[in-house]
Amino acid sequence: MLWTLIGVMVFLLALGLPMMIPLITGPLILLLFFDVGPDPWIMVQQMREGISSYVLIAVPLFIFAADIMTSGRTSQKLLDFIGAFVGHLRGGYAITTAAACTLFGSISGSTQATVVAIGKPMRQRLLKAGYKDSSAIALIINSSDVALLIPPSIGMIIYALVAQGASVGDLFIAGIGPGVLIFLFFAVYAFIYAKIHNIPLAEKPSWSERGRLTVQALMPLGFPIIIIGGIYGGIFTPTEAAGVSVLYALILEVFIFRSIHLKQIPDIALSSGIVTSAVFILVASGQAFSWVISFARIPRQLTDAVLPEDPTALTVLVIVALFFFVGCMFVDPIVVILILTPIFYDPAIQAGVDPIHLGVVIVFQAALGSATPPFGVDIFTASAVFNKSYLDVIRGTPPFIVMLLIVAVLVIVFEEISLFLLWMF
Amino acid sequence: MADSNTSGAAGPVMRVTKALDAGLHTLEKLILKWAIIIISVMTFGNVIYRTLTGASWHFAEEVSELSIIVATFFGISYAARKGRHISMSAFFDLAPYKVKKFLSIFNPFLTAVILFVVAYFAVQYTYGVYESGRTTAALQFPYWLMVVSIPIGLVLGGIQFLRNMWINIVNKEIYLAQEKKDYNEQ
Amino acid sequence: GNDDGNNEEVNNGGADNNDAADNNMNNDADNDEDNDADNNDGDDAEAVDVEPQELRFVVEETQGQVQHVYAEEFAERVSDRTDGAIDIDVFEFGELGSEVDQVEQLTDGIVEFAIISPGFTGTLVPEGNIFALQFLFGDDQQINQDILNESEAINEHLAANYEDQGIKPLSFWTEGAMQWTSNDVQLTEPEDFEGFQMRTQESPLILRSYEAYGANPTAMSWGELYTGLQQGAVDGQENPIFFIADAAFNEVQDYMTISNHNMYVTMTTVNPEFYDGLDDETRGVIDDVVEEMREVGFDIQEQQNSDFLSDIEDDDENPTEIYELDEDERDQFRELAEEVRDFYREEEGDDAEMILDMLEEEIEEHYDGDVD
Ligand code: NA
Ligand code: NA
Repeated sequence: MLWTLIGVMVFLLALGLPMMIPLITGPLILLLFFDVGPDPWIMVQQMREGISSYVLIAVPLFIFAADIMTSGRTSQKLLDFIGAFVGHLRGGYAITTAAACTLFGSISGSTQATVVAIGKPMRQRLLKAGYKDSSAIALIINSSDVALLIPPSIGMIIYALVAQGASVGDLFIAGIGPGVLIFLFFAVYAFIYAKIHNIPLAEKPSWSERGRLTVQALMPLGFPIIIIGGIYGGIFTPTEAAGVSVLYALILEVFIFRSIHLKQIPDIALSSGIVTSAVFILVASGQAFSWVISFARIPRQLTDAVLPEDPTALTVLVIVALFFFVGCMFVDPIVVILILTPIFYDPAIQAGVDPIHLGVVIVFQAALGSATPPFGVDIFTASAVFNKSYLDVIRGTPPFIVMLLIVAVLVIVFEEISLFLLWMF
Repeated sequence: MADSNTSGAAGPVMRVTKALDAGLHTLEKLILKWAIIIISVMTFGNVIYRTLTGASWHFAEEVSELSIIVATFFGISYAARKGRHISMSAFFDLAPYKVKKFLSIFNPFLTAVILFVVAYFAVQYTYGVYESGRTTAALQFPYWLMVVSIPIGLVLGGIQFLRNMWINIVNKEIYLAQEKKDYNEQ
Repeated sequence: GNDDGNNEEVNNGGADNNDAADNNMNNDADNDEDNDADNNDGDDAEAVDVEPQELRFVVEETQGQVQHVYAEEFAERVSDRTDGAIDIDVFEFGELGSEVDQVEQLTDGIVEFAIISPGFTGTLVPEGNIFALQFLFGDDQQINQDILNESEAINEHLAANYEDQGIKPLSFWTEGAMQWTSNDVQLTEPEDFEGFQMRTQESPLILRSYEAYGANPTAMSWGELYTGLQQGAVDGQENPIFFIADAAFNEVQDYMTISNHNMYVTMTTVNPEFYDGLDDETRGVIDDVVEEMREVGFDIQEQQNSDFLSDIEDDDENPTEIYELDEDERDQFRELAEEVRDFYREEEGDDAEMILDMLEEEIEEHYDGDVD
């Protein structure tokens, strides 16, 4: 049954069918032709369920805000400003992208929203600065992973609810170390890449020029301040912050810069809507898929088969990492955390794994898997946002996957990377 | 427009079909646009209202959920029309013309079949929700209204994929969608 | 057969073999006292010989939480009594979708058993919102559970409302009293709720309850609640103690008020067609186990709530000031909460008035009996 499922899905995927079709057809075949039990309408219920999570609403909203800001002048001013200070450095734009994704990830908690909000304006900049498109897109997708690690992290919150004995506050702190480590790796890579590919250094602007660009960017710079201040000041939640960012973008572009006429807003919304729909139909199908395999107890059969008797902590962590990595290549990370955590939690704790460390490893793998071909959700998002073919989107990812795998191994082996900040307090 | 290739004789049937198609196209665009705008207004409107009055818009979450469901499922046919559905096209892109031509007819056909099958189950599901009489929590409107766009969207999506198939049957070139030629031919 | 090997512990519970197959709630409750004293001379007497079946039981909570422990225990007892012929697979929350999805799965027979909380089915069976009324029950949890076991209003009339929707409640039980947690202010009197941002579930009746105290109730999904409390988007929330500690809300709250303002009531339910189609022996086993679990379920929640209360008290890193309302303070709130009962009578379904009137009487009888 398991192999039929995998076979059908891989075959349909390879034919180049819309991604929703393998995700729907695999489980549909289990329900129609194998004795799994439930009526197939359950898939429709779960497709609805998959897109009903309130937290997901942040995704179209950040897409919309980013679309407004890229149609108008906000991102231009913001990036002019960044460029004035780091554009002349070796790998400056790439480092800025990684930093901006880390920063934005810490605001939105969503890797997909980060791909959109930072990726869309930043990609233009990277192309202009002389980066290959494939590298630019890969950098954006992978830097956005950090969003799942830096607080506030939706992934950590979900893990804490499923895994008893892990506090959300501790998890938040434990995610920072690995998040920063990824950023450092990417920054060093950006420097080396720029050197090897001889990315031309931009002219270093004068201080008066820098001052002018800073003043111009003051209003757009208010964007992260309002978002971060609003969340940490308790005025709104991270999901609501996405709505507020739409409002802020509207006020800037329509009323202050007057770069967009109010009449144009519906057309911008249409382009955000089509991206939302293309991504959400996959979230919906992914939920239906995961329901059917949960019901058929396929994940549990798998883990019973893979976990040895009395495993060591390291063995369990490696197996956990593999499962989450593979799972998140196929399904939304949130769904994978909800399904797989309870299965692995008890064996891991019995083997002596620290529950906080386990949470960091799991969320890290979820982040990694969601940027990894063939299925990673961030790849779909990027494909939809940049209107690029799938192959174009994944072309530049291998070096990043290698770096992330190295960090993954470090995080698995050295629990200090996650826990040292906790020990310091 | 790619459509012009398919309509040799402009008989009355064709004209009605075209009018229907134009109407549908407009409807899909309208729904996608306004879904996004409504979600935005609900979310930041609630923040503003709460900041000013201390009370909340209890309907905001429900209206947003409805908008997301409607946009996702009506978006199937719009994204199919524009060739914006996400696929793993590595093999397709590399395939020789004949294989590509076959797949450009077969893929939309199979997609349409699957969507119609799911639509059938979606009708069952929606009917079940209708029979239960369940309402939404805040606004207390019938919950079946929340999900009825699922079967409708799936059927419209299936029809659009059949049209994507048809355009590849009647034309020599390869179309990724009714309004989008293959990357190699753009 | 049962390969878990820890039968001893399971059998030590207050189980007996009273003929619950054709039971009557009132009789069973009367037997409760006897059950306690009864040492397991019953359930491992002989296993019933029934047709093997694989069944599914879905709950609204995750592993280790009250409902899941209950369901695992339920499954084990059924397995023991049938010599392993009836194998109940427990699905924890998240595996099969949302709470409302699970209801649809039960009514369609995709799962045979489910734990369903009236709070998640208020739009399907509005009468079930009765358990959201605050300060309706007293604050002796054992008496409250007795009422849940014996009440005609609940077990006959309210249960009938659920059966109309294809949900057959087998028992109503408490997961513990609900408490308030807060920042900035310890909630001890209605004035403390003035301008207070209270997170609640999305239900007009609950919203009204907090509006009655002068609070600003706000619906927020649990996925955002920890952050919302930490950063002050909301000031407080309500839940049973085990859930507060499990979700670590005490880490981001300064105060907890033992308000016992109502109970988190839930139901063990079964798909009616499945249940009616069972042979007498099998149904007898199910009924027996349901009866045993009334006591066991109460103990599970009591244990968890008291253990977690100690955890919160002992957590020096995240200190939480705990205050217990006295009867006068509870009366102040009860007075304001009375008007919500009228809202319930008028707005929450055709049978609401009848059910509430009857339940109010039953509660009075139980508590008067206790006082004497
Ligand atoms: Na984050
Ligand atoms: Na605290």
